[in-house]
Amino acid sequence: MTVRSVRRSGLTMPIVTPRFVDNAWRRGCDFIVLDLEDSVPQHLKAHARTLVKDAIPNVSKGGAEAFVRINHDTMEEDVEAVVWPGLKRIKYPKTEHAHEVRRLDELITRYEKERGIAPGTVEIDASIETALGVANVYEIASASPRIREFGATTGGYDLSRDLGIEMFVDFDQFEYPRGESELAARALGLRVRSAPFIANTTGSVSDGNRALRVAEAARKCGIRLGGGGLNPAVVESHNVGFVPTQEEIDDARHVLESYATLEARGEAWAESEGRVIDRYEAERARELIDWAAACDARNREKAEAVSRHSRAGGNPDANPHPREGGNPATSDSTGSPPARG
Amino acid sequence: MLIRRSNLLIPLGDAERVDNAWRHNADAVTLDLEQVADAKKAEAREGLKEAIGAAARGAAEVFVRVSERDLTDDLTAAVWPGLRGIVLPRVESAADVAEAAEIVTRLEGERGLASGSLQFIVLLETALGVWHIRSILAASPRVEQAALDEPDLAASLGIVPDREIDPFVYARGRLTVECTAAKVGAIGMVYPLSLEKPGTDPVFDASHIHTMATKARNSGMKGVICPHASWVNPVNAAFTPTPELVEWNRRVRAAFAQGVAKGTAAVPLDGKMIDVPVDEWAIVVLAMAEACAARDAEKAAALKGR
Repeated sequence: MTVRSVRRSGLTMPIVTPRFVDNAWRRGCDFIVLDLEDSVPQHLKAHARTLVKDAIPNVSKGGAEAFVRINHDTMEEDVEAVVWPGLKRIKYPKTEHAHEVRRLDELITRYEKERGIAPGTVEIDASIETALGVANVYEIASASPRIREFGATTGGYDLSRDLGIEMFVDFDQFEYPRGESELAARALGLRVRSAPFIANTTGSVSDGNRALRVAEAARKCGIRLGGGGLNPAVVESHNVGFVPTQEEIDDARHVLESYATLEARGEAWAESEGRVIDRYEAERARELIDWAAACDARNREKAEAVSRHSRAGGNPDANPHPREGGNPATSDSTGSPPARG
Repeated sequence: MLIRRSNLLIPLGDAERVDNAWRHNADAVTLDLEQVADAKKAEAREGLKEAIGAAARGAAEVFVRVSERDLTDDLTAAVWPGLRGIVLPRVESAADVAEAAEIVTRLEGERGLASGSLQFIVLLETALGVWHIRSILAASPRVEQAALDEPDLAASLGIVPDREIDPFVYARGRLTVECTAAKVGAIGMVYPLSLEKPGTDPVFDASHIHTMATKARNSGMKGVICPHASWVNPVNAAFTPTPELVEWNRRVRAAFAQGVAKGTAAVPLDGKMIDVPVDEWAIVVLAMAEACAARDAEKAAALKGR
C-alpha cells in the first residue's frame, strides 16, 4: 500500500458519452476526470448529474482514482450529485476567489457527513483558468485544507480565451500564470503541478511523443504530478515520462551511499567526480528513489485491478493494455506508443 | 468591442508630423507633450486644440500624452472637444491616477465635455508602478488601457538593455494578467521592439513589425503604441483576424453546434479539440473581425471626404 499518491496520467471525458466512461478503466490512467463541465452540452447537464454515482466505481475498476469536474456556476447542485463513496477529488473550474473554495469545502463537508464518507476524503482541485484567478492564486490556494496540489500546467483553453490569445504558438505564453501559481503552491507547502514549456504548434491532443517529452521535462524539474490529457494516446507517455530512468535511480543510490560514507566519517560535504555530495543532494536522491518505488507500486496496483476485473468482467475481449485501447476522445488517435528518449 | 490596434505617437513640436498625423491609417493618434523641450512647450500647448482636430481627420481617436511634471498645465492645454483621452506617463500609484482624474473632471465641466468621457491610458515606467498595478487600474473608471514604457522602465531599474535578453517577461506577464482581470486593455510590443522610442527612424521592415505585433497579440496585448508611422499598417494587420482565422472559427462554430446536437460538447476538428471555451473564443474572433472591418470602413470614409 503506497502512502504517496501517484498521479502521473489521467483522462478527462464527458460523463454523458457511455463508450468513453465504460472503457475508461482500461486506459491505464492513474486518474480519470469525469466531466460535467465544458464537454457536456447545456441541455444534458441535469442528465449528466444522475450518472456520477455509478460512473465513479465504473471508471475506478482499473485502479484509477476517480475525480469529477463540476461546473463553476452550478456548484451547489453539482456537489450534491457527485460526493459519493469512491470520489477522490472535485475539480472546480475557473476559480477566481477564495470564498468560492470555502463554499465548496462546506458543501463537500456536509455531503461527506451525510453519506458516510470519512471527513476530508474529497480533495479540491482549484483550477486557475482566468486572469482574475491568477491574480488571486495565493488566497485561493490557501482557502481550504482540501487543496493539497496546486498549479498550472501550460495554460489552457479557458485562460487563452480570457487573455484573448491564440493558442498553439511557438513561444511560452504562460510564464507569469505558471510562475505565480507555482510560487503560491510552494509558499503554502502544497504539491506542485507544473510543466516546462514545450511548443505544441498543431494543437494536437493525441501526440504521444510530445506528451512523453513534456512529462520527462517536468520530471527533471522535480514535478511529480501530471495534468492529464484528453486522448488515450498520451496516457502511457505520461505514465512512463514521470518515472525516473534506471540510470537516474542508480545515480541516486550512488549519491546516498556516498553520503552515508561521509556521515560515518562525521563529515557533511564532499566533492566526488566533479559534483557536490551533501545533505541536500542526499535528500533529492532519497526522494527520487522513493518516487520511483511509489510509481512501481502504483503500476502493480493498477495491473492487479485490471486483471481482477478482466477475469470477472463480462468482456472476454477486454484488452487491458492501454496502448492498444481505442480512441474515445477524438478521431485522430493514430499515435503509436512512445519510445523513451 | 474596442478596436484600437495602432496608436501612433506624434511628437508635438514637429509641425510637419503633426499636420500629417491623420494620413497614416492609425486607429488612434497620441500627440506627445511629454517629449517636447521646455523652450517649445508653451508653443506646443497653444497649438494643441487645433492639432487635436487635425489629427482626427482620418477618423483616428486622439489622445494627448502629458508630462507628470507639468500635469495641471498640460491637461489644461489638452482637454478640448474631440479629445478621446489622456496618456498618463510614469504612474506609480492610485493617487497619481486620482489626481489626474480630478483635474480632468473639472476641465470636462469647464469645456463642455461630458463628465467622465475622457479615457486614460496609463504608462508604467518604474518598479513601483508595476508593483501597484492592481490599485492603479482600479483607481478610476477612466483607465481604459495600460502599458509598460520599457525604455523608461529599463532606465529606472538601471538596466542597460541587451536586445538578446528580455528583462521584462515578468512585468509584461503581470501587465497582461492584471489588465485582463481588471477588464482593462493591455497594450504593447514584444521585446526588443518594445524599446523603440517615438520619433525614431523606420528601421524595421513591415513583415518584421507584423510578426512581432502578432506575437504581442498572442501575448495578451490589445494594440501597440507605434513610435513611427511605418508601424501602423503592419500592426493593424496583425491585430485583425485573418481570413484564414475567420474561416477556421466558422468551422469551429459549425462543428461545435453539430457536436452539441449529437450530445457532446467535446468535438475533434483537424486534430484539435473543440469544446465550450474554444467555441466562445470563436464567437469573439468573428465579432472582432467584423468590428475591425467596421473600423476600417469608418476610417476609409473619413479619408474619402478629404
